[in-house]
Amino acid sequence: MAKASQKTDPQSAGMYASAEKIYPREQKGRFANYSKVATLALLGIYYVLPWLAWDGRQAVLFDLPARKFYLFGLTLWPQDFPYLALLLIIAALSLFFFTALAGRLWCGFACPQTVWTEAFIWMEQWTEGTRSQRMKLDKAPWSWNKLRRKGGKQFLWVTFSLWTGFTFVGYFTTIRELGPALAQLQVGGWTLFWGLFYSFATYGNAGYMREQVCKYMCPYARFQSAMFDRDTLIISYDEARGEPRGSRKRSVDYKAAGLGDCIDCTLCVQVCPTGIDIRDGLQYECIACAACIDACDSVMDKMGYPRGLVRYTTEHSLHGTKTRVMRPRMLVYAMLLLVLVSALVTSMVTRTPVILDVIRDRNALYRELADDIIENSYTLKLINQGSAQRDFHLSVAGVPGLVLEGVDSVITVAAGDVRSLPVRARAHRDDAYGIMDITFSVVATDDDGVVVVEDSRFIGPMP
Amino acid sequence: MINEQYRGARQWSRKRQAVATVAWISFLSAAVATMLFFAVFDPVDLAGLLDLDISRDPGYAIGFFFFWAISALCSGVTAWLVRTAPKRDKKHR
Repeated sequence: MAKASQKTDPQSAGMYASAEKIYPREQKGRFANYSKVATLALLGIYYVLPWLAWDGRQAVLFDLPARKFYLFGLTLWPQDFPYLALLLIIAALSLFFFTALAGRLWCGFACPQTVWTEAFIWMEQWTEGTRSQRMKLDKAPWSWNKLRRKGGKQFLWVTFSLWTGFTFVGYFTTIRELGPALAQLQVGGWTLFWGLFYSFATYGNAGYMREQVCKYMCPYARFQSAMFDRDTLIISYDEARGEPRGSRKRSVDYKAAGLGDCIDCTLCVQVCPTGIDIRDGLQYECIACAACIDACDSVMDKMGYPRGLVRYTTEHSLHGTKTRVMRPRMLVYAMLLLVLVSALVTSMVTRTPVILDVIRDRNALYRELADDIIENSYTLKLINQGSAQRDFHLSVAGVPGLVLEGVDSVITVAAGDVRSLPVRARAHRDDAYGIMDITFSVVATDDDGVVVVEDSRFIGPMP
Repeated sequence: MINEQYRGARQWSRKRQAVATVAWISFLSAAVATMLFFAVFDPVDLAGLLDLDISRDPGYAIGFFFFWAISALCSGVTAWLVRTAPKRDKKHR
């Protein structure tokens, strides 16, 4: 490795030096492999999902212009909003649960900020090389080599960002039509705008802002410590074993020399994507990516010391007490999660795949026809949320002798379609006076269990 | 020896932190607000109320940027007021 630079800039000599870019060092190891698998799997899901087809349509499509969400076999409508709310609550609770159990797993392995930063760092390594090569390159004056390497990195970053933006838009517009439309320059202005917007955000967040997003902009990073207790899995340096740290020759009996296991190689600092020193203790900047564990383990192997000077552990176990996994906090989170997930599943399984909306004609209270007949007008919206075409019967009740006009005896609605039905209800003047509550009901012809009932009002002359 | 003179990771200036945090948090709030709001209201219906002819795509976008602007204004002014507040004197600390 390069010799320590002896130059000390008086302006930045302090602990809080002005901006120093972080060059995370490449590190092989167990957790680096987990992270690689997680990154590839999550990126794979993101980039592949919109290309999947289901029943002749895009499997996952948030069709905002039509106000319909397709999720494989499921079609969600604005009326299904409670599911979305429930899903968000479940997601938040899961985050609490896993944080209390295993610390910042989310930050280290699953957060989009981490995943895309990882991918961008790979591209950086392919074009600009290892940590020391990158540092040297940045210090070097502009040359053909520097231009070529920096240009290559920018080309990969920009292309990958654009592809990311394209995929993002592909969740909202049919992605298979998006490519040809783009080639013919026939993409709508808003589609283009959101695609470029998302590309730019990806480029900025993963290419440049990186750990600063976690440190300054992420609310979860600040409040996650509230979910920690002494039994939460954290990444920690074993101070009792490591200190006093210091360099030594392999041949020296370091224990006799009064040294601990830490050889002070600072590799754990060099690999850290947020640039902290894990040996200073638990810090909120730590995203628990476990790169320092890999780094330290490799050094311990080389020195012939046991692994785990930096390791996943809990505060209790660090202080020699037993770690309890099942604790009241975990049980409460688990119970709540169980209740909410079963509520979501039950309501989704038992939901009636039909929606009926009744809107009373506001232009006239009622019309008087010949033979003392009173007529009210309504607009009915019948929505078939199912995945097959269906026939329905419509009926109305609440006023004696109430009949419907202008309605077919069998109403056919295509899968995922909305039928708008102008309907007139008629009753005799003797039966219909004042404001009366009525109910419209729709029954599927093939299944009596599929029924929706909607209340409305029938208005007649005041008696 | 691999020890390098490590000066600590780069840190953003207070101003940059404030701008980035306000922009990002108001962006997230706007995203949530847009989702909740348009799950209940259809932009076409809203435009109809105001006698405007706006289709859904621009409707969503206008809604999103409106929410973003409002939340950025709110958190921006809050951050500014907190940061520029007079310091408390010692006896109250």
